Amino acid sequence: MKKIIALLLSVLFMVSLLAGCGSDKSNTQSQQQQGQQQTASTKDNKYKIVVMPKLVGIPYFNASEQGAKKAGQDLGVEVIYTGPTKADAAEQVKMIEDLINQGVDAIAVAPNDPAALTPVLKKAKDKGILVVDWDTPADKSVVDLSVHQIDDKQYGEHIWDLLVQSMGTDSAEYAIITGGLSAANLNTWINYGLEYAKSKYPNLKLVTDKIPSDEKQQVAYQKALELIKAYPNLKGIIGISTPAPIGAAQAVQEKGLQDKVSVVGTGLPNDSKTYLKDGSLDVATLWEPAKLGYLTVALIKDMLDGKKPTDGQEVPNVGKIQVQSDGKTVIMGPPTDFTKDNVDQFNF
Amino acid sequence: MLKTSKEMILLYVFVGLFLLMSAASPSKFLTLGNLQSMATQLPELGLIALGMMVVIITGGIDLSITFTAALSGIVGALVLSSGYSAGVEGTAVIFLIIKALLATLITALICGFVNGLLISYVGVSPILVTLGTMTLFEGMSVWLTKGGAISGFPGQYQWIGNGYLGFIPVPILIFIVFAVLTLILLERTAWGRSVYMFGCNPVATFFSGINTKKVVMLVYLYAAMMAAMAAIIMTSRYNSAKVDYGSSYLLQSVAIVVLGGTDIAGGYGKVVGTVVAAGIVQVLSSGLNLIGINRFMVDVTMGVLLIAVLLLNSFISKRKQGKGVKKEPKKIGIAV
Repeated sequence: MKKIIALLLSVLFMVSLLAGCGSDKSNTQSQQQQGQQQTASTKDNKYKIVVMPKLVGIPYFNASEQGAKKAGQDLGVEVIYTGPTKADAAEQVKMIEDLINQGVDAIAVAPNDPAALTPVLKKAKDKGILVVDWDTPADKSVVDLSVHQIDDKQYGEHIWDLLVQSMGTDSAEYAIITGGLSAANLNTWINYGLEYAKSKYPNLKLVTDKIPSDEKQQVAYQKALELIKAYPNLKGIIGISTPAPIGAAQAVQEKGLQDKVSVVGTGLPNDSKTYLKDGSLDVATLWEPAKLGYLTVALIKDMLDGKKPTDGQEVPNVGKIQVQSDGKTVIMGPPTDFTKDNVDQFNF
Repeated sequence: MLKTSKEMILLYVFVGLFLLMSAASPSKFLTLGNLQSMATQLPELGLIALGMMVVIITGGIDLSITFTAALSGIVGALVLSSGYSAGVEGTAVIFLIIKALLATLITALICGFVNGLLISYVGVSPILVTLGTMTLFEGMSVWLTKGGAISGFPGQYQWIGNGYLGFIPVPILIFIVFAVLTLILLERTAWGRSVYMFGCNPVATFFSGINTKKVVMLVYLYAAMMAAMAAIIMTSRYNSAKVDYGSSYLLQSVAIVVLGGTDIAGGYGKVVGTVVAAGIVQVLSSGLNLIGINRFMVDVTMGVLLIAVLLLNSFISKRKQGKGVKKEPKKIGIAV
């Protein structure tokens, strides 16, 4: 008797799970576009390309998803855009292992931790899968192609140029608010910028060392308020990492110093919009994640067709790309500046 | 009795899920490659869950278990990478690896000793102690690594996490060995019996003449040892050590233990249940990933599954109790 009831219960439970799965499937299928149908895709011989972000569900990677999916449609390849819900390298390793078994042609990943992914990427390569990194470099020895958004040196110098343009003078006092003191990419940009400023703008005076803001807008705002108070002659603030310029702009807005203090930095257009419009943020500069997603898929398609990227190649919908001398490191191109005039065209 | 036990129901669910996933994508799920990769993925979380289970049976909890794993893995990694250079070869490498494994184990045991000392001999409640040590171990790990990853291990070390014996992945073999060991220790030894007794009623256990302090100390040492094993597999599999590897396993392991039928208040819990529960989570995660379902839906499905099984268990135990009172009042004492 008990046995029967238990069996019945478990059957019932399984059926309800089945029903749940069924609806999941139809949901995801309607979300993902037509090329994604499971049964169809295994039969025709479209390339299957995995694009894995550091995590899913944040605006930056949602924008790159749109770009990658659009490239999939334009070029007739199946793009699987999937990643962990937390920025955890261990999760990425597990997902890549599963994807290897799914039988895909290429895997492009933005690693949360380059070292942790090396063994699993090697495994993928041994199975004949094209291994690519995008957004953040992985171990150089395992990837067949490395897609970078920006040339670090050019980007750092560009930010300092923007500062001088916005202030209207190159002899002034300025400060830097950065995301974190140990973030490698942020430090690279700052160091290139400082070096460049030393020779190009010798009269530019940095009032104090770069100030960390823990990647938080609230902290950047407080630090900017303190800076404005401590250095009354301050004319410019550079914000590196996406929340930093927004926080600084918030401080400038609150004090009504739009005309006196210029704020420039690396910001997402959606966050920057209100501050750009009232002049507290002069200009934000960043690459376009959608283009980066598009470029990644487009280059992988070429590689699978046997075409290597070349320096100065014109990629449709992206523009001219640069290829470094090793033949596999690709740089998307110059950053995009967001000002009050063009910010409405972007949505990320 | 056995037929309706929580573990049997769990096994039905596991088999059902397995068949369901096989039916949904036979060409992908039922391949040797996929079965192998599932067997490679399961052990890390499974080992931590086993350690957590032993602690939960005593009515405690070990919140520091994942950071014990992180810290011991990092110490092992430091030994390994500092002792290794291109010139080291042959038996020297094997010797170095053994040294690193010992360093990992000893570090973990020290962590477990601190927990056990504070909980059993000082008498602070487990959740407070391990909350404190969790932060302590995390802080030490960050201090040792400066937040980055430690890498540069000899290639042979990767065999532990990525190698095969025949066609069976090494990690699952390690897991099987420790699952059997836990089974024997818990269900066939005097120590195991006193662990269950302590979970049911610590005072009565104490007055039965059992050295409860020693029992509890050993429980936390055992959990730490499981954490060390998980750490060894993780550092080897990811070829590096970092503070946040496996940090998401803490609550997942508690969920698996509870899913496996262990009473969160202590006194009941079976190794088989925990192992099957770990299997269910793995099949669900890999299966849904293979089918290509949105990652957020995977989390949702896990949550629904956990709640459903808990409801089922509580429903059945209520029924059993109701019946037991009428027909066989003696059985309650034995069943619990």
